[in-house]
Formats: sequence, C-alpha cells, structure tokens
Amino acid sequence: MIRSIIVDDELHGREELAVLLEETGKFTILDSCVNAFDALKSIRKYRPQLLFLDIEMPVVGGFELLAMIDEEIMPYVVFVTAYDEYALQAFEEKTLDYLLKPIDLKRLDKMVDKVISAIKTDSRPFIPDGLLSRVPCYIGTTVKMVPSAEIDHVKTKIGGVYITTGEGSFFTDLTLKLLEERTSLVRCHKQYLIHPDQIDRIRPLENGGAEITTRGHHAVPVSRRYYRALKNQLGL
Amino acid sequence: MELIFLLLQQTAIIVAIAYLFSKSPLMRYFGDGRLTTRDKIALYLIFTTFSILGTYFGLPVQGAIANTRAIGAVLAGLVGGPVLGVAVGVSAGIHRFFLGGFTAFSCGISTVFEGLLGGLVHLYFIRQRKHEYVYSPMVTFATAFCAEIGQMVIILLLARPFEDALGLVKVIALPMITANAVGATLFMSMVRDQKRTKDRVGAVFSAKALDVANRTLGILSRGFNQQTATQLADVLHKETGVGMVAITDREKILATSGLGADHHLPGGPIMSSLTKRAISEDSVVFADGKNLHFTCPVDASCPLGSVLIVPLRIDRDVIGTIELFEPKDKLFLKINRTFGEGLTTLYSHQLLRLQYEEQKTLLMRSELKLMQAQVNPHFLFNTLNTIVAVVRKDADRARQLLIRLSSFLRTNLKRTKETVRLDEELDHIGDYLEIEKARFADRLQVIIDVDDELSYLQIPIFTLQPLIENAIKHGISEMLNGGRISVKGYRHGDSARIVVEDNAGTYTEIGSAEGLGMTLVDKRLKNLFGSSYGVAVDCQPGEYTRIIVSLPMVEEKQP
Repeated sequence: MIRSIIVDDELHGREELAVLLEETGKFTILDSCVNAFDALKSIRKYRPQLLFLDIEMPVVGGFELLAMIDEEIMPYVVFVTAYDEYALQAFEEKTLDYLLKPIDLKRLDKMVDKVISAIKTDSRPFIPDGLLSRVPCYIGTTVKMVPSAEIDHVKTKIGGVYITTGEGSFFTDLTLKLLEERTSLVRCHKQYLIHPDQIDRIRPLENGGAEITTRGHHAVPVSRRYYRALKNQLGL
Repeated sequence: MELIFLLLQQTAIIVAIAYLFSKSPLMRYFGDGRLTTRDKIALYLIFTTFSILGTYFGLPVQGAIANTRAIGAVLAGLVGGPVLGVAVGVSAGIHRFFLGGFTAFSCGISTVFEGLLGGLVHLYFIRQRKHEYVYSPMVTFATAFCAEIGQMVIILLLARPFEDALGLVKVIALPMITANAVGATLFMSMVRDQKRTKDRVGAVFSAKALDVANRTLGILSRGFNQQTATQLADVLHKETGVGMVAITDREKILATSGLGADHHLPGGPIMSSLTKRAISEDSVVFADGKNLHFTCPVDASCPLGSVLIVPLRIDRDVIGTIELFEPKDKLFLKINRTFGEGLTTLYSHQLLRLQYEEQKTLLMRSELKLMQAQVNPHFLFNTLNTIVAVVRKDADRARQLLIRLSSFLRTNLKRTKETVRLDEELDHIGDYLEIEKARFADRLQVIIDVDDELSYLQIPIFTLQPLIENAIKHGISEMLNGGRISVKGYRHGDSARIVVEDNAGTYTEIGSAEGLGMTLVDKRLKNLFGSSYGVAVDCQPGEYTRIIVSLPMVEEKQP
C-alpha cells in the first residue's frame, strides 16, 4: 500500500480521485488537503510517500508548494490537472507523472505502475531547484505571503521560526534550513539567517564573532563558526 | 459756375468708363484680400490710365487745365496704399508737367501729393484693422476733397507769378474740388458694389454646395453600390442642372440620370476612352466640347458633347468615377466643374471614413468572437470534472447541472444580436453561477439582486459574463476559505447601475487578462451609449473588488 495525500482545492476533485485510488487497492489515503498550507502541515505530520497535487490552487499553487517542502521528507509527486497546458511543464519539472481530469482509468493504471517501480528502485524524488520568491507566514489563522526580497533577517526561537521585515515579525512553519537553501538568505548564526542586501554594518567582537546592524536597525549576531564563511560570501 | 457743369460732364465720361471697367474681367485685380504684386502692377496701369485721361479731358482755363486727374491718383492710393498712390501720382504728374503752362510744375507735384494722401488714408485704416473703410464712398469723398484743397494750396505756393495763380485758383477751386470728389466717390461705390455682388454669388454657391453635399453624404454613408449611386446621380443631376450625371465603378456604369440616360444604361461596361483614361491615370479628365470633344461611343445621335470625369478614390485606390455631362449646344459652366471636383473629393473622404468604420466594426466582431471562444475551455473542463464527480454521488444533481450547462452553451454559442435584455442576460449568468457554485461546493456564495425596473434594459451581449468570469477566476479562486459574489442592479439618477462585486479584492491593473476583458466591455458600452457610460473599478485590496457598469436608464416602451 502506498501512503498518499491528495491536494486539491475542489471538493469534487478530491472525492473523485480518492474513490478511484481506493478502487485500485494500492493506496492508503492519509489525508485530503484543500490548499497548499494544509498540505504542508499534513506532509510533515504523515510523511507520505506520494503526493497527488493539483496545480491551480488559491494563493500558493502546486509548483510553489513543492519549493516549500523539506528535502528529507519530499514525497514522489503526481500532478493532477484539468488543463493540459501545464502537462508539458509538469514533465519538464521531472515529477513522477501527471493525470488529466477527468481521470482515464487506463491512464491511472499506468501511473500506478510507474509509482510502484519508482518506490521499488528507491529513485530520488524530484527536488525543485528554483528559489522561493514568497514565504508563507501566519498571523493567527490568516496567511501572509512575505516576498523573500523584503526579509530583513530570520530567527529561530523556542516557539518556532520568525521572519522579520520592515512591517514586523511573522511566524512561519518553514524551517531555517529550507529558507537557507531556497532563498538568497545567508546563515550567520545557528539560529539566524540574514539578507545580504540588508546588512548596514558589521562590528567584529572580541570572541571572534561579530554583530550585524541591518538597514532596518536590527542587531543580528554572527557566530565565530559562520563569520568567515559570511565574509567570504560578502567578498570581504 | 459754368465750369462746374463742364467739369462734371467730363467726370461723367470718366465715371462711364469706370462703369464699363467695373464690369470687365479687370475687376479681379481688386482682389479678395491681399493684393499680389501682379494685382498691384495691373492697378498701377489702370489708375495711371484714368489719371492721364483726366488730364486730357480737362478744360483749358487761363493758361492752365481744369481737370479730373486727381481721381486716379487718390483711388490708387486708397485701394493700393502709399506706394501705388505715389507711383500713379508721379506718372500722371510727369505727364502733366510735359504739357506745359505756368502751373505745369505745381500741378505735377500736387498729383504726387494726392496719390500719397490716398495711400496714407489706406495705411491708417489698415493699421486700425478696418479694411472695409478703404472702399467706403464717404472716406473716398473726404479724401478726394482734401486732396483737391491741397492741390490748390500747392498751386498758390509754387506757381509764379502769384497773382496769376491766385486768379486761377479763384476760378477753378470750387469746380475741381467738387468734380474730383464726386467722381472718385462714384467710381469707388461702383467698385464696392461689384465686389459685393461677387461675394453674394460666392455665398449662394457655397450654400448650395453645402446643401448638396449634406444630402448626398447621407446616401453614401450606406456604401458605394448601384443603389446609392442611382440616388446620388439623381440628386446631383437635379441640383447642378447639367445635361447628365453618370457614376461608374472601375468596370461598369452604376447609374445615369439626365439626357442620355436612355442609351447610357446602368450595368453596361465603360466604353468611353475618356473614362478609362481617368481611371487608369487617376486624374481628372475634362472635355470642354471645344478643344476636346466627348463623342458618345454608343449612339451617334447622342446630344452630349462635353464632360467632366473625376475619379472617386478610397485612400489611393480609384474605385470609380463621377461624371458630369453637358449637351453639345451648352457651355460647360466653370462653376459646375469646380462643383464636380470638390464634391468628388468630399465623397472620397466619406468613403474612406466609411471603410474605416466598417473595419472597426469588423474588428469589434472578431474581438467578440474571441471572447466567446475564450470562455470555453477552462470552464468547460472544470464543469465536466465537477459533473463526473457528482454523478457518482447524486445522479439527479448531475442531471440538473448538465441541463444548466446545455442552456448556458446554447445561449453562448447562438448569439447573433448585438444587445440583449438585462433579465435574459441575468438568466444566462445565473446558469453560469449555478455551475460554478457546484464546482466550488461550499466555497462560493452568490447573491443576485437586480431591481425589476431594470429588467427590460438592453445591454450589449457579453457585458456581465466577462465581469463575473473575472470575479471567479481572479477573485474567488484565489481565496483560501471561499468567497461571495454579488450582482446588484439599481437606478442611479438618469442612469442604471449594475455592480458586480466579489470579496476577494485581488483586482490588478493594466496588462492583466481581466483588464483586457474589461476594456472590451467598457469600449462596447461607450460605443453604444456614449462616453459618459461604461465600466468603473473600485478595489479595496483584501476587502472587495467592485465593478460598476453604468448604462442609460430608458423608460420601458409600451407595447
């Protein structure tokens, strides 16, 4: 049984696919998600092997969602779309396969074979290499999309990861590691990422580390461990 | 006293000559506004002749000549300015000088003075921007009067012996002042009357031309074909009074009206070499009936003898000709020639405009087609997917949705009229929204609230549909927790308003696909109702997008 999650903003789409998948007897549907944010939480929670992913969804579409998933837990992906204009693009993205809605049963069988063989050979799931242009943050239950270019710095606290911009600090459920990999933010401390364009001053400290003052007048610590790498990166 | 009458008799002769002159083609040198150098040279010769005639017609008095020489000089100055006045004065003065007598020198000088005085008066009125006073008889009288007094003073100052000069002036002063002033005034009033007549004829001609243009442009606005050509030919024939009017396209005669219409038949091919030449060379051909004859290629007994053929163009292409004919026994009037050429140019412009309008309409039609085509694929796929899923759970609901879809597609594909009643359009978007509600399940809420008094209003087809599609595609589809679309209609003063609102507030300006659809809707509303109607956008990001359509509120027609 392949442990799967369905992501589709349309109720009928989710239900129809769930019925079809269950009929094959090869899938366990762990969850059905209505948008990318639900999906992100669900993927962390269930660590599925396979994701059935709709492309057109509100706020964050299927492609963008993939860029928000940590590499270690990246599942295989089958895109599900009603428009074949995306099909080609899905191929280029080298995801496992795609299905066109309404779903053709023969096509579904082929997909099943493909998925099973991928899992057997343990081939690596596709990892998107593009940069994340927006970072989803939460204010209570409201989602706020923060453009990566506007980030001043990022800090890990006990409560989670917080992104600071000119507007304030916002909670995000993305990890520091993912942000370091998928944005132009640079690691300067075990708990901090800094946006290179936002650095105003760097003041070396006696302990071998330093302190950065950002354009937004925030003080960000630089640990000894990351200081040299940071200086190299900035061409200092 | 006797001298006054004698001199007035001479003046009468001058005036008689002046009258003949005013009827002659030489009058054109008086110009309509600014005098050209050529006009001035002609006027110089004319007035010098009059001035010298005045000397010859003069009467010998006490060794001098009582004369009307001043008329020419003063008028030359008044009409043509100081330079012309002095030129005439010098010429006539020199002539007088060589005739001799004890006043030869003083009379010569005074003629120059008189021309100069006329010129100064001319200059004064031009500077005051009162051109018309130059031709005023009152001004002429006063100027000639003063000029003659001036002459008397000059004679007294310059002629010697002074006693003789004084004696002479006593005798000739009154007769000469009177005769010259009266003569100049009569001359000038004839010139003025002649000018006025010319203006009036011009005005009548213009009025008629405009009237004909007005009546015929309407005909042409329905296109250039046999039917409109026939009407056009009839009107032109009646209004110009020429022998026959013919209108052709590039190959055949479209219409004829008048004398030779019995054998110059519509539908027949172009036979005249003159017409063929006009078309192939794209030039006006004029056979005046004297140097170049029109010879009827069809019937030897055809009465027509002269013709004006003007090519009719759209942009640069000759599409036909308009031809005015006169019979052999009639002169082709210049006025009709001007008329024919002028009107045809006007028609060419009208046809070009018509073509432009047609293209604009065509473009609009194809844009509309495009919009119709744009609707289909996404909506159709989404709907089919919804129905595929619904059929499994609720066959009845699926059936209802298919019926809605069928109704929507039928209306969408079978639209031929440009406008539609608002209530029919609301039914149509009702189908659309019902289907979308099924797709979004609990994520879409729809409110439709349009006042009944608006239901009979005619609106362009595809006015609301694109707006609602935008609201779904760019609004509701982008909302995580679903949203609401409302369509409200109400009267607002003299206009009606239909407001399509969603609570997404995701409207983005220019360049976007939704902008394009909306621009089209706006353009069509403005085209149909005028620029004060159309589409307005009010967007509060994250709160709402409100698209406001305004139309004229027309009262319902009673059946």
